[in-house]
Parts: sequence; C-alpha cells; structure tokens
Amino acid sequence: MDIDTSVKLNIYETIARTTQAPTTHQVAQALSAPLADVQAAFERLHQKRLLVPEPGDPARIRMAPPFSGTPTSFRVIVRDRAYYANCAWDAWGIPAALHEDAVIETVDAHTGEAMTFEIKNGQPVPQPCVFHFAVPAARWWEDIVYT
Amino acid sequence: MLIFRSEDTVKQWCAARGLPVRPMINLEQLWQLAVTWYGNRLTVDSRRPAPDEMVGIFARLGLEGLFWDPKADEWQSANR
Repeated sequence: MDIDTSVKLNIYETIARTTQAPTTHQVAQALSAPLADVQAAFERLHQKRLLVPEPGDPARIRMAPPFSGTPTSFRVIVRDRAYYANCAWDAWGIPAALHEDAVIETVDAHTGEAMTFEIKNGQPVPQPCVFHFAVPAARWWEDIVYT
Repeated sequence: MLIFRSEDTVKQWCAARGLPVRPMINLEQLWQLAVTWYGNRLTVDSRRPAPDEMVGIFARLGLEGLFWDPKADEWQSANR
C-alpha cells in the first residue's frame, strides 16, 4: 500500500474510532513512518481534496470530509460517539461513511431553531427541511470552509 | 451548504445578506448525495469523484445545468 493510502486510511480510521482528527505527528507515529513523508502525504491528500489542513498549521486537519476537525453547528451522534460535520451534506455523509444509524443535531441557518434528524435503519426519517446551495459547484473549493 | 426549516427561511436568509436564492434540494436528494459521495470514504479505494463523475451524480438526482458543473467557467459570465 502506498504512503498516501496508508495515511488516508489512518486519518479516517482514527476519526471514526476516536472522533478526533490526528496530527501529522500522530499519523507518523501510528504508521512508524518518517514525519516528512507523512507531511508530504497530507499535502497530496489536500490536493486530492480529501483533507483540508488547519489554516496556519498544516500539521493539523480542519476537514477530512465529511468529518470536521473542529466543532461546528452540525453535530452527528453515532452510538456513543459525537462527531462534527463541515456542512449539511457532510452531516448526512458521516452516517453514510460509517454505515451506521445516527442522530444529527443542527439549527436552521436563518432562525437558529434547533433541528434534530435521524438516520434509522439506513434511511433518513422524513421531516420538513430544505438544503440550500449558495455557491455553484465550480467555486466550491475557492473557499471550502465557507462553502 | 446550509439547512433550513423551509424555503421561506432560505429566502429570508438570502434577503438578509443581499444574496440570490440559489438551488435547493430535499432530504432524499441530500441522502443520495451523501451515500454516493461518502459511502466508501473509509476504504482503500476511496477518492473524491472526478468532475465528469460529479456531473453524472448530480444529473441522476435531477440537478442539471451550469450551477452543478464543476468545470463551468461560463457560470460567472452567465450570471453577471
């Protein structure tokens, strides 16, 4: 397995298991790999849009979509673990990635009204809501944190 | 991408920011996007869909046009 794949899997498996995104140092230690190799792999995974480093600190992960490395207004509870998602799409992406049922806690972006959703038996439980794309697909990665 | 209780609150959110109302999708469409995009994210072969694949994924959900085309340089000029 090449280093990029090993790093990618370690990142995602660590988040799935602990809810926390690992640093380059932690990944290097877990894989017994040189830190410089892991740092380079982080950069390549960023180019492949599989992770976004923390602004100003490339050793840390801001996003490993659908997971967020920092708390957001999209909290996803799976079993006894609480994850954060980057956006509404990613909030439903977490149970999709984990193949688990989930409870999603979020808010209406305009009113701040608390909204709770369920994924039950592998399907979303219907309730009134709508998802709005403010940014066209061609611009999603111009400012992915805003998107 | 944000969630709202209704189209009314989308319109209020856009008006408060002076932004145009842009495409909206429902919960079933969102779930299909989530499963397609992230269903294999924890596997060896996982990767982000390529631009042409993205167009196909969106089209299967009825999401067509320049807004949904990641290669649409025309999008900016078409909306000025």
